[in-house]
Amino acid sequence: MIELLNVNKTFNGNVKAVDSLNLVIPNGEIFGFLGPNGAGKTTTIKIITGILNADSGSVKVNGIDIKEEPLEVKRSIGFVPDTPNMFLRLKGIEYLNFMADMYDVSTADRKERLQYLAERFGMTDVLYDRIQSYSHGMRQKIVIMGVLIHNPSVWIMDEPMTGLDPKSSFILKEMMREHADKGNTVFFSTHVLDVAEKVCDRVAIIDKGRILFNGTIEEMKEHFNRNESLEKMFLELTDSEK
Amino acid sequence: MKNKTLNLAMILLKNGSGLGLKGSSTATKVMMIVLFAIAIPSMMGGVGAFTVFLIEPLMKIGQQGLVLTWGIGITSAAIFVFGIFYIISTFYFASDVEYLLPLPLKPRQIVGAKFLVVTVFEYIFAAMIFIPIWITYGIRISMGPLYYIYGLILLLLMPIMPLALASLLSMIIMRFTNLKRHKDAFKIIGGLLAMFLGIGINLMMQNMSMNLSPEKLSKLLQQGQNSLIGALPSIFPTAGWAGQALVHSGSLKGLMYFAICIGFSVAVFAGLLALGQLIYLKGVVGLSETGSRRHGHGLQGIDKGVEKGSVISTYTLVELKLLFRTPIYFLNCVIINFLWPVFLLFPFLVRNEEVDMLTEISNAINQSDAGGIILAAFFGLALFVSGSNGIAASAISREGQELYVKKYLPMSYKDQLIAKLLSALTLSYVGIVSMVIVGIVLFKIPVTTGVLVLLTGWLPVLFMCLSGLLIDLYNPKLDWDNEQKAVKQNINVLYSIIIGMGLAAASVIPAVAFKWSITVTLLILCSAFLALDILLYNVLKTVGVRRFGNIDC
Repeated sequence: MIELLNVNKTFNGNVKAVDSLNLVIPNGEIFGFLGPNGAGKTTTIKIITGILNADSGSVKVNGIDIKEEPLEVKRSIGFVPDTPNMFLRLKGIEYLNFMADMYDVSTADRKERLQYLAERFGMTDVLYDRIQSYSHGMRQKIVIMGVLIHNPSVWIMDEPMTGLDPKSSFILKEMMREHADKGNTVFFSTHVLDVAEKVCDRVAIIDKGRILFNGTIEEMKEHFNRNESLEKMFLELTDSEK
Repeated sequence: MKNKTLNLAMILLKNGSGLGLKGSSTATKVMMIVLFAIAIPSMMGGVGAFTVFLIEPLMKIGQQGLVLTWGIGITSAAIFVFGIFYIISTFYFASDVEYLLPLPLKPRQIVGAKFLVVTVFEYIFAAMIFIPIWITYGIRISMGPLYYIYGLILLLLMPIMPLALASLLSMIIMRFTNLKRHKDAFKIIGGLLAMFLGIGINLMMQNMSMNLSPEKLSKLLQQGQNSLIGALPSIFPTAGWAGQALVHSGSLKGLMYFAICIGFSVAVFAGLLALGQLIYLKGVVGLSETGSRRHGHGLQGIDKGVEKGSVISTYTLVELKLLFRTPIYFLNCVIINFLWPVFLLFPFLVRNEEVDMLTEISNAINQSDAGGIILAAFFGLALFVSGSNGIAASAISREGQELYVKKYLPMSYKDQLIAKLLSALTLSYVGIVSMVIVGIVLFKIPVTTGVLVLLTGWLPVLFMCLSGLLIDLYNPKLDWDNEQKAVKQNINVLYSIIIGMGLAAASVIPAVAFKWSITVTLLILCSAFLALDILLYNVLKTVGVRRFGNIDC
């Protein structure tokens, strides 16, 4: 579970990237975080994962405050950033092993999960190649594998579908469902509304650092009191703010 | 019609992030500016003072013009040696190459623009050495206004010849090492080859210039009138001509040499463009590809290399792997540790008449009271080498835009900094080991002294690693698109070198001045560095860790 309470973040003294944000992301659900470019999605995610410090407010993951126990919180999170270009000069297997060591995964567990993840994503043949030689989608997959290797109770992704082929993104969606069904939290940002509509149990829409809507797709439809596409509702919602 | 080469050069220059002061706090900026304001004038002052020191005796024999030729020659040689790295990484390894290749540009336009960018950066370097020599000479000899006008233009032309030579070498080597697979390995081999060739050529030329026969030399000396300038052969003919142009700036002869310099530089630049048009593309296309095997590792395959390890050792190992596998880091940070002994030895090994010097030095070393000085000298070398490899001083900068990854890992910032420290310490220590081996084998230093150095040498090295890391924490250069910028164009590495040299002097000078015995040297230096290390470690553990957490990414 992720709880954000009155979180604020300002850049360069005047640009408010996150404005009094309140959000609760429960266990066992896939939660979509929607918003136009520059709405504050990535900033919010960076605050939850400990990359950025919030100016004020509190962030709790599984009831633990990130300011008080940063390592404990980080250990329970698996984070897939929006660009997978990291550790390019390591081999895939070296990267996965590095992540497993970081998250304290036992040798037996990591072998089992590696095997499973590599087969599921079709990466078995390239594990001993350098990440540099991977395509964008493969890099994305190796990062996702590195995150799932410690079976995080909170799985956070920033635009995870970018660059994935249809099969891989289907597998990813499947895995998100399975992960949530085991009682874990799955939280991801996207601007692809179709994905959100099909996968998410609940969505929040953010624009200019503020939450405009938070609820199920059904509730959103009720909110607008008509049966329109999510796209239309989204555009209306974010446009009316301008 | 606009000139595409110039346009591109301007864009590339604007795109470079300069000294990396962007985004740092005002206090850091002020500190940097103050440091610069002290370091650069004092360095230029030093060169100026040295010029005065050289010029007086040379004036007595009517050869004062040599100062200028030497000055230009040294500047050119330095530009060449540093330029080789710079050229290779700018021409071939910069990430902008991938964006430039699809544009409708001729290869010679890309080569020309990149060459101009490097030239502009080398001006800072050229100015620091040449300006004090040029001005000192001008004042001392009371030269006319033409001298200053020529000098300014010649300063602008100065990097062209050495950089063209560096480009030529780089382009030929990259043309033939651009093979399909193992790109990184070839980059490293290419870089090393260019570097050794560069140094080799330089030394050969130096050797030639020393081979002037005594009779000829004394005859030239008797002639006076700066007759020696023309007699010194050089790999950079422009150095001699530029010297002539300046010395005779009042006469037609000066004008002639000045014209030759300009004409030659233009011709060299044109030749380089023509060569670039011919071979640049063949060396650069496909350079960013990386080979892969894609062989199936079945069910058993995944067993390899998946054992659990401790967090700090895994992190340290990854740091080291990245240093070894990234060509620019490997050349600048790793290889340099092994190269210093070679650099230091080269002059002794290559020149015949100085082999005696080697024996003389080892004799001096083996005098019974030299133990303290040797130990202090090793401490000095250790400080210099571990400062100049820049591993610690670029430890944060090397993370670049991906620093955020380290922020979400469940590893405390303190442990991460310790792991970074350990990787820097390990490689720098290897540098000491190689120096001790050279010392024992070639200079015949006593084995016991060697062992003492190995036992205590980590103290100064640790100091350099700690101070480098702290400097980089305060002003990390994260906004780069080319690894070269993280290590070579990183002001933090320069600070580290300055600190290393300063402390080296502070360690060696008192040992020489007070003729410390080996025991006294050992006690004083070890306790001093131990105290400094403990102090800095505590700063790193508290202030440094806080700073790491506050770096925005």
